[in-house]
Amino acid sequence: MTDAIQTIGKARTEPAINSPGRMVLRRFRRHRMAMVSMAVLGLVMLSALLAPLGPYTPTEQNPKNAFSPPSAQHWFGTDDLGRDVLTRTLYGGRISLVVGLAATGLALLLGMLVGAIAGYAGGLTDNLLMRLTDAFLSLPSLFVLILISTMLRDVPILNLRNSVVMVVIIIAVLSWMWPARLIRGEFLSLREEEFVHAARSVGVGHTRIMFRHILPNTVSLIIVQGTLAVAYAIIVESGLSYLGFGIQPPTPSWGNLLSTAQVYALRAPWLMIFPGLMIFITTLSINHIGDGLRDAFDPHSVH
Amino acid sequence: MYRKYLLPILLLLALSLGACAAPSSDTTSDTAGDSGSGAAADSGGGQVIIIIPEEPASLNQYLAVAAIVRQVADAVTGPLAAVNADGEFVPVLAAELPTVENGGVSEDFRTVTWKLRPDLKWSDGEPLTSDDIKFTWETLADPASGNVLSLGFDLIESVETPDDQTAVITYSEVNQAYLQQFLYGILPRHAAGEAADMAEWDWNRNPVSAGPYVVSEWNSGESIIMERNPNYYLEGRPYLDRLIFTIVPDSGAQVAMMAQGEAQVQIWPGETRDVYDAQVAGQATLAEIPGQWNMTIYFNHSMPFDDDPGATPPHPVLGDVRVRQAIAHAIDYDTILTDISPDSTASTSPFAYGWYKCDLERPYPYDVDAANALLDEAGWVMGDDGIRVAQGAEYAEDGTRLTVQLEGYTNFQPLVRLEEALVEMFKQVGIEGTIQNDDFSVIFGSYGDGAPRKLGNFDMLIYDTSLTLEPHATVANLYGSDAIPSADNPAGANYARWVNADADAALATAGGTVDIATRQAAYCDLAQLIADELPSLNLFLYTEGYGASNRLSGYEVNMWGSLTWDVQNWQMD
Repeated sequence: MTDAIQTIGKARTEPAINSPGRMVLRRFRRHRMAMVSMAVLGLVMLSALLAPLGPYTPTEQNPKNAFSPPSAQHWFGTDDLGRDVLTRTLYGGRISLVVGLAATGLALLLGMLVGAIAGYAGGLTDNLLMRLTDAFLSLPSLFVLILISTMLRDVPILNLRNSVVMVVIIIAVLSWMWPARLIRGEFLSLREEEFVHAARSVGVGHTRIMFRHILPNTVSLIIVQGTLAVAYAIIVESGLSYLGFGIQPPTPSWGNLLSTAQVYALRAPWLMIFPGLMIFITTLSINHIGDGLRDAFDPHSVH
Repeated sequence: MYRKYLLPILLLLALSLGACAAPSSDTTSDTAGDSGSGAAADSGGGQVIIIIPEEPASLNQYLAVAAIVRQVADAVTGPLAAVNADGEFVPVLAAELPTVENGGVSEDFRTVTWKLRPDLKWSDGEPLTSDDIKFTWETLADPASGNVLSLGFDLIESVETPDDQTAVITYSEVNQAYLQQFLYGILPRHAAGEAADMAEWDWNRNPVSAGPYVVSEWNSGESIIMERNPNYYLEGRPYLDRLIFTIVPDSGAQVAMMAQGEAQVQIWPGETRDVYDAQVAGQATLAEIPGQWNMTIYFNHSMPFDDDPGATPPHPVLGDVRVRQAIAHAIDYDTILTDISPDSTASTSPFAYGWYKCDLERPYPYDVDAANALLDEAGWVMGDDGIRVAQGAEYAEDGTRLTVQLEGYTNFQPLVRLEEALVEMFKQVGIEGTIQNDDFSVIFGSYGDGAPRKLGNFDMLIYDTSLTLEPHATVANLYGSDAIPSADNPAGANYARWVNADADAALATAGGTVDIATRQAAYCDLAQLIADELPSLNLFLYTEGYGASNRLSGYEVNMWGSLTWDVQNWQMD
């Protein structure tokens, strides 16, 4: 009898080892591309962190040595003022990675909130929130940016205008609408599922249903959105500096390194190749990581 | 949804890889040297193919907003007087320039008498007379004509024509720019139309011409072909039989045509000379001169962000002239000319060209020691991080960091490059420089739009400015103490908020006469005051010009004129 109980007890603890979290982790570990991408992204981040260990500073100029191609002294060559492109690319990574990840996170958070409430509540709330989303989608971002730029102009005390924080907020404000619509769609269908009815019937509160019961089921969607949005944010950051916001020179970011390089595309292609490659590698890794995460979270996955 | 943003990245990468291969394709065009010689030199004076990036809407310069119009239209335009490459007026259809000395201008400067050359004819053989001058005024003074050029036709009270060669023009007030009055050509009474219909005139696209050429063919979207005007006033000119303006928007295609000798002139190549000459592989060269764009720094004398656009209270940093002088001393002008902006020539005053040209010795040349001494004296002591801090400075509280912001416009890499170089130079003397570039619409916005320079919310503006042939209105608005922008004077352009009685006096002298020598001397006095007091500091002039085949001769690049201002002198070998 006691044996039997013990056996049952043992059998009960077995599935605990296979908890959803562990299964996700295990499935993710088996995703080879995702693991390689994790390593690559880690390397990119580490190199950005270790940038100050290099022999040059990102703003140190030597105009006599401008436009020199990649060499032993300057692995990535030099730019139009003779600055070391490798150093600037690594420093640029600090800003671009922070902007890319933080802006995406904030946009997803905003989009999730709006989408979840709209999709779950339905009716008038849904209608209002979705019309707001449409309104944001239809605003021409260029004019919004010029407007914000002029408005912020006269608030020198805050000094937020060209800070990374401001850039992150602006990009998030300009891009939360896509995740919002997708998540709302998911919520619309999921709220009719049996498990939601079950939860409701035993008296679980709305907030808990939304965020504990439905939201985890949209994780794969959110992750895919998020990984794609990172690249968007990195590129938008360079567009912002065209409009006089964003990261101002001489501070480098991958975006503004690329937009400067366009001018010298024929003369000094290395100015374009290296920051371009960094953006490419980073977004590719993030996409693969996203792929891995999606597969790992997928409850239908066979692994 | 986001997937579409991946495409640009891939494109960028593809482009950057493609770019590696580009230089080698240039060298192959060496061999294509004499293949496509576009000029059929055997038929008389030959022809020239001129590449223009866009099609002019018409050849009526009085309707032109687009810059391309004048570049083409001057070939079919007969002005009374033109401006040569030195910025001096020269008579064209007029027998001589009216001046006070030769009696062409009355003592009160209000009556101007133009005398035409004898026996002038329009391209259709009709005589060109003083009545056409009168018709030009009648048409352009009429607001219904839609004339876009403000040349002061509305200041003319009357035009008398005592004989066919003489036009006596009476102004209601002095027009200092009277020599420019007919710079953009005379209109023919017999071949034009009603003033109110000017926009619709057939003449606009097929003008009866007093210039060296007439339009023979206009293929919309493709080309405009011109033949020589048989009745041109200069005997034996123009040399070339035919001009073909071919419309090629793509700059890559333009360069390819030049490199293969398929075209002889390329307007606005948008490249530096060394790059351009390499691209066209010995077929052509960039003919360039110092242009009108004068890189200028304006120092704000007044406190920014105090809700007061006026001259007081003083700017905490730049209000002290010693700080402005130190900044001027900190700039390595030679390095800027040789390495930072190699396609430029030095300019030391706002009056860098034209009849009012005034070059000065820089009172505050590159001198780091002098800059440091001035800053020490002005109460800015070196801080631990290499940036100076106020300690007994005239207008700044103790402890204020010596930070100044350079403000220019976006999307122009040569300007960014200059700003970045300046920031590095400022650092050498303990000044922290930051850069804030704004969209064109922001920085060059109006007072009502809250443009920073109009409201005085900036430290240092940096951009290229230009003066026209008649500079007075612009200069008085830039440096006159009555021209500080405010709600009452939103068009004011004294962005430095500079108040100087001597400057006002020099402006009054220059504005009170039409005598060129007196005005020139007064502008030079003003230039010296500006150089000493530093409301603004001039750095250099960008060069400008066009690509010209090595087989083309006789042309002269003229910043005051268009590409075709001297087209009657062009020759091909």
